[in-house]
Amino acid sequence: MIQIRGLSKSFVGQDGSVVHALRDVDLDIDENEFLTILGPSGCGKTTLLKAVAGLIPWNDGDILIDGSAVRGPGPERSMVFQNFALLPWATVLDNVGFGLRMRGIGRAERDERARALIEMVGLSGFETKRPGELSGGMQQRVGIARALAVEPRVLLMDEPFGAVDEQTRRLLQEELLSIWERRRMTVVFITHSMEEAVLLGDRVVLMSARPGQIAEIVPVPLPRPRSSDVGAIERSSDYVEVTAYLWDRLRDMHTEHRPSKVAG
Amino acid sequence: MSALVERRGATAVRRRRLSWRRLPAAPVSLAAGAVLWELIGRVADVPFFPPLTTVLGRLADMVSSGQIIGSLGDSLLNLALGFGISLAAGLAVGVAMGRYRKVEAALGVYVYALLTAPSLVFAPIFFSLLGEGRGSIVAVVVMYTVFIVIINTASAIRTVPGHLVEMARSYGARETQVLLRVILPAAAPMIMAGVRLGVGRAVTGMINGEMFIAVVGLGRIVTQAGGRFDGASVLAVLLVIIAVALGAVALVQAVDRRITRWVPKTTKDGL
Repeated sequence: MIQIRGLSKSFVGQDGSVVHALRDVDLDIDENEFLTILGPSGCGKTTLLKAVAGLIPWNDGDILIDGSAVRGPGPERSMVFQNFALLPWATVLDNVGFGLRMRGIGRAERDERARALIEMVGLSGFETKRPGELSGGMQQRVGIARALAVEPRVLLMDEPFGAVDEQTRRLLQEELLSIWERRRMTVVFITHSMEEAVLLGDRVVLMSARPGQIAEIVPVPLPRPRSSDVGAIERSSDYVEVTAYLWDRLRDMHTEHRPSKVAG
Repeated sequence: MSALVERRGATAVRRRRLSWRRLPAAPVSLAAGAVLWELIGRVADVPFFPPLTTVLGRLADMVSSGQIIGSLGDSLLNLALGFGISLAAGLAVGVAMGRYRKVEAALGVYVYALLTAPSLVFAPIFFSLLGEGRGSIVAVVVMYTVFIVIINTASAIRTVPGHLVEMARSYGARETQVLLRVILPAAAPMIMAGVRLGVGRAVTGMINGEMFIAVVGLGRIVTQAGGRFDGASVLAVLLVIIAVALGAVALVQAVDRRITRWVPKTTKDGL
């Protein structure tokens, strides 16, 4: 469904040197696939996601969605942000309806659809609250509801649970799985957590830094649906094995970039 | 039993002490100021600083003779016109400067130059261009007000978090939607801070304009009373001007509270 061909992006760093945020990235993402992208910080995973979102330009290569080139944001894609990016003056209802409003949908239909999504993410009763009155986990539920309200075919998630505490994070992971199991769509999910990448993904794209490249694509041999018994999944040998393998690869990447190694 | 009574007495004392602290600060300070004015006025006994009671008496005379009301209407109209123009122009130019680097580069130098220049030096220019009518006074009010509104609006726009703009764009928002639905509301608290500064300067501009260009309104009364060495009248009008300024600021604050209700209380008190 999404084809990324030879994607490269570089920019001039503060010290004048050229930084290759992405170099020659090729990636195919299937319809209704849950793809997680894992890598050390600075590997360009957020850059890759923002390029697919149509939010930033790139130097070389193509991104195709159903065969047509991405030239900017489009109605088939929506994004969930790491820092939630909620409007602090707007109520939960208006935040969830924001994307619909941008697409010219009138108040009545907007509110109706927003209410349905608010219920789906478990925030019924909070419609008139403002983001400042909500916990981080609740704020990201609003962010997810807003992204789902526009009924995207592709959901782009940029470390969506990176800013919430561990317990909330686990709850949100389970709920995301359960939403996705009921309502299939293509998900591209950025994370720096191996466990999260394996628990959620059909495949894990492992990226390496400087330059940002795809190091390996690791299939996750875990059964679906997974939301009903996350505990059993996490105890399964496949889960343990894949997670351990990803950590081995990541640790190698970190060691390669240790200053002493570079100097030697 | 006696211990109980004693304890009760102790809490009563403590309560009385606390109630001193609970006295509202503003009225106490105003009362102290009034007493001080009255005392200094009586002791000094100079024509330009009569005691408060004399000034209040004169103010009552001026109000009942209708002198204040007519002039006040004139002045308020000058103020409203000048402040309204400053607000409209200041917001438009400020948003453009904050959002578009080219506009900032083109206009920034003028705005900063005119903000720091003493606004009253432009009075003779307006006087010769617009005559001694209302136009000149309104122009002076605008000179006093508009630049502070522009500069605050521009920096308010510039400090809007980039991720909110990015979020809006990801949902396909057009530039006008980004401006109206994200940037302006996000910048509103800081824009309103500039408007609050602007309204104070507008009152100053109104009085200066009325005193130095066309002698109308409250400014005329001040000029004429000053010429007669009538200190009580000058200070009586000054009280009216202060009342106008406080009223204007209160009006802006009421609007501000409506617009920025979403800002958390703690940061709002700090502004």
